[in-house]
Amino acid sequence: MWHSQALACKKLSKFQPIQFYNNESGTYELLPFNFDKVSDDRYVITNLVGEYLTIDSKSLQDIVNHELSPTNNLYSKLRSKQFIREPDEAYPIELLALKLRTRFARLANFTNLHIFVVTLRCDHSCPYCQVSRQSEDKASFDMTTEMADKSLAMVFRSPSPAIKIEFQGGEPLLNFEMIKYVVTTAKKLNAVHQRNLAFVIATTLSLITEEILVFCKEHNIVISTSLDGPEDLHNANRPRPNKDSYQRFIDGLQKTRAILGYNQVSALMTTTDKSLPRVKDIIDEYLKLGFKGIFLRPLSPYGFAIKTRKFMSYNTERWLEFYKEGLDYIIQLNKNGIEFSEYYSALVLKKMMTSSDPGYVDLMNPAGIGIAAIVFNYDGNVYASDESRMLAEMGDSTFLLGNVLTNTYEEIILSDKLLDALDESFTLSAPMCSECAFEIYCGAEPVYHHAIHKDFLARKPESEFCKRNMTTFKHLINIMEDDSERKSLFIDWANKC
Amino acid sequence: MLKLGGKVIEIQNDNSPNSKLYSVSTNPNLPLVLRKQKAFLIQSEDIPEGFSHYIFFDSTSSLTNKTPSNSTYTVLTDDFSYLGHDDVIRISSTKNNARVLFRAKASNNSFLITEQCNHYCLMCSQPPKVIDDSYIIEETFELITLLPKWTKEIGFTGGEPTLFGQRFLELLRHTQSQLPNTGIHILSNGRTFKDIHYAKQYAEISHFDMMVGIPIYSSDPAKHDYIVQAKGAFDETIRGILNLKRFNQKVEIRVVIHKQSIDGLVELCEFIGRNLLFVDHVALMGLEMMGFTRANLETLWIDPYDYKDTLSEAVKLLNTYGITTSVYNHQLCLVNKDVLPFYRKSISDWKNEYAIECNGCKKQSECGGFFSSGIKHGYSSNLKPFL
Amino acid sequence: MHNLVVIFDERIYSVLTLQKAAYRFISYFACNFSLTENQIQCEIESTGNMTLEAFNAKVHDFKKEVLDQHLREKIRVETDDIRNLILSVAFSSTGLQKVE
Repeated sequence: MWHSQALACKKLSKFQPIQFYNNESGTYELLPFNFDKVSDDRYVITNLVGEYLTIDSKSLQDIVNHELSPTNNLYSKLRSKQFIREPDEAYPIELLALKLRTRFARLANFTNLHIFVVTLRCDHSCPYCQVSRQSEDKASFDMTTEMADKSLAMVFRSPSPAIKIEFQGGEPLLNFEMIKYVVTTAKKLNAVHQRNLAFVIATTLSLITEEILVFCKEHNIVISTSLDGPEDLHNANRPRPNKDSYQRFIDGLQKTRAILGYNQVSALMTTTDKSLPRVKDIIDEYLKLGFKGIFLRPLSPYGFAIKTRKFMSYNTERWLEFYKEGLDYIIQLNKNGIEFSEYYSALVLKKMMTSSDPGYVDLMNPAGIGIAAIVFNYDGNVYASDESRMLAEMGDSTFLLGNVLTNTYEEIILSDKLLDALDESFTLSAPMCSECAFEIYCGAEPVYHHAIHKDFLARKPESEFCKRNMTTFKHLINIMEDDSERKSLFIDWANKC
Repeated sequence: MLKLGGKVIEIQNDNSPNSKLYSVSTNPNLPLVLRKQKAFLIQSEDIPEGFSHYIFFDSTSSLTNKTPSNSTYTVLTDDFSYLGHDDVIRISSTKNNARVLFRAKASNNSFLITEQCNHYCLMCSQPPKVIDDSYIIEETFELITLLPKWTKEIGFTGGEPTLFGQRFLELLRHTQSQLPNTGIHILSNGRTFKDIHYAKQYAEISHFDMMVGIPIYSSDPAKHDYIVQAKGAFDETIRGILNLKRFNQKVEIRVVIHKQSIDGLVELCEFIGRNLLFVDHVALMGLEMMGFTRANLETLWIDPYDYKDTLSEAVKLLNTYGITTSVYNHQLCLVNKDVLPFYRKSISDWKNEYAIECNGCKKQSECGGFFSSGIKHGYSSNLKPFL
Repeated sequence: MHNLVVIFDERIYSVLTLQKAAYRFISYFACNFSLTENQIQCEIESTGNMTLEAFNAKVHDFKKEVLDQHLREKIRVETDDIRNLILSVAFSSTGLQKVE
């Protein structure tokens, strides 16, 4: 078994220097990439799978004009991150294609998060809340078993191997009987469908009882709750008749952790104007209560938020200041040995530092509506996202896809409303987005743009969504490029997310 | 260091021109029908009849006259006294030498199946030869039949084993059929698998535990090509890995750390995290002072003490990306504490030694120590025994 | 309201490049393009309330953005084919090499 090929290339009697393995100057080819300025003389270049490099403007021009020398250190980096390739190299195409496919793999699985709004009734009267009702009228605002059955039938039509059902409200625990019904029925159905089935209840914990928790324990239901900060801030944001929202939260948290386990509860915060000067207090509250991170998120511009002008009470700049201050504080905590994450940054960083996509509804293209999540409302209406139903409660039913009582699964999932919104907001064909270096990290978010600009796409230079995210992306890149310790922390967040 | 091969003192009565493989037995009560395939290792004056060959040592050579008639025998030097039951030895009468190919007591046995290679690595410990050595793979077919069925794992190395193309796949199938419970580890540069049909045929063997260990030395293609001294190698290796993973085959990435690979090590780990997250294992390995390494010492040598922080960073990064990682061929006193969870004692027992500086070190039993070649040809000047 | 006319050489810049650059400044000013021989004339007119100083600064940024857009156009022209190749490999079932 003689190998002439091996023979031919092995006539070498001595070793060749590294120059021998460099290509001739200027013969490289560009692979697709976008660029944008991130600070004065720093540009970021990104490719279609989210790899990035920061370079100066001279280097950028050299690259595009084929004037970069193969001996330049940047040349190696560009090759290994697939920004350029040498002629006849096939691996860069294969790697880019593979990573692109991985990123879009989620699309093929379709919907995995199914939100069940089991009631609109609530024991809180938060001024910024979009949907809840203070009412004893169960008949008008509670989901019925008929609707639940029809909704569940649709849930299992989704081809996703993993199915998560999240109970929302109002305060979903006010209709705990329906939660029980949905969970037990879903499990019965799943005996046939064999999906990876998971349940979440989104609750303020004010009404949680041992009986409820025992049921949760039995069915592996996890709890997603709300915490806005220290007692005074939390109670101001979340009014209850006895001004006891915070105390009920603390009691509920303790009970829940005791029965379900410490890490079976996560918390979300809402940022009101009162929160803005207090980001450290808020983070400290999360630390004190043993949470491993916080999701710094701005108030969404839907429903009551618009109606009560709460949303207008702070602008994007003020929000960004809040976010940056919080992020900076959290990084400092980590430098001092306290493990703590900021989850929004982590979602973005996952797109920047890894080859997988976290599938976060706001940061998806095509848009995540209907795909990442779908909402089955108490009245049988089906919405493309949680935000969509909030918009509908304000009288704008643009994203109402149909009703479980009158429409088929196909009619709902292939409705023109959904497809038009996905199509028209698609960023890869949108002005400015298609050439934006941050497109790969960003999302289409047609619901936001429709709500504010009455246009699924909107003119991005005028979009606060665009401004907020662009600033966030630039900020994250700048601060990690300035400090390798931060970068190492960010890679850690990206992989934990 | 164990002596695996060398001249023999005497080979008697063997008329065959070629070398012969024998499975060694120390069991005098072996049923007669099974003795025909075995060489009996003389340990006392009690010499049973019917074995096809008898092995004496210098110290037992006075007993050679008791060899059963019509049987052949060999007298080995006492260096081979470690030989034991179920070991396999090759005895060559024309060259008057012997080589132990398989040691039942060793945790891992690797078989070199060719010295040909399409790489010419700066640090190759087994410098390739341009010769027709296909007899080695043919002999390996026979060797496989002599191995005990309980063997846990074997390795195939080279040279580049896949240069044999179909014949190599036949060897794998043969091994699978002879040793159905034995894991196989292959050391290959992966380039042959760039042919998706070859990768597919390999996968179709559907072995329960077979892994290819493939070296990548840099995420910069030019640097990798330079280290392996083959233009276009990086391109083919990456495509080979992708093809293997396309068919769900186990792949390990092996990185030898030296002066040429250390600079880009962290970038390489990032590259693996972003592009090859699906590999099953990454091994970061110390340099073996053998073969070409000695010729290129100036280009390659870097004291592990000087790169220990980089090693820590590399390990941390791989671990963050969730990649199973091991550090091989390093000395315990030359790595940072954070590397310890990934630290493995990896050097094969037969070439594993310790330095004079290690005398009195309390952690010797946990330490990977050195390749014998390292003790002989140079090692870190920063060794510090744990006292 | 501020006005300014900027002239670009048509042999160097495409109208599309200029339009793309102008789009990014849509919240500060509107641009009217007209073609004369070898020249693209760009009439810039501020939209909101802004000082002359701020307006001039934005026009300056716009000129820099034109250079960036020009570079983007070059990248696009060179990489369009390979982008399509990558997309087709990514979303076909076979990849670069076909397996039977």
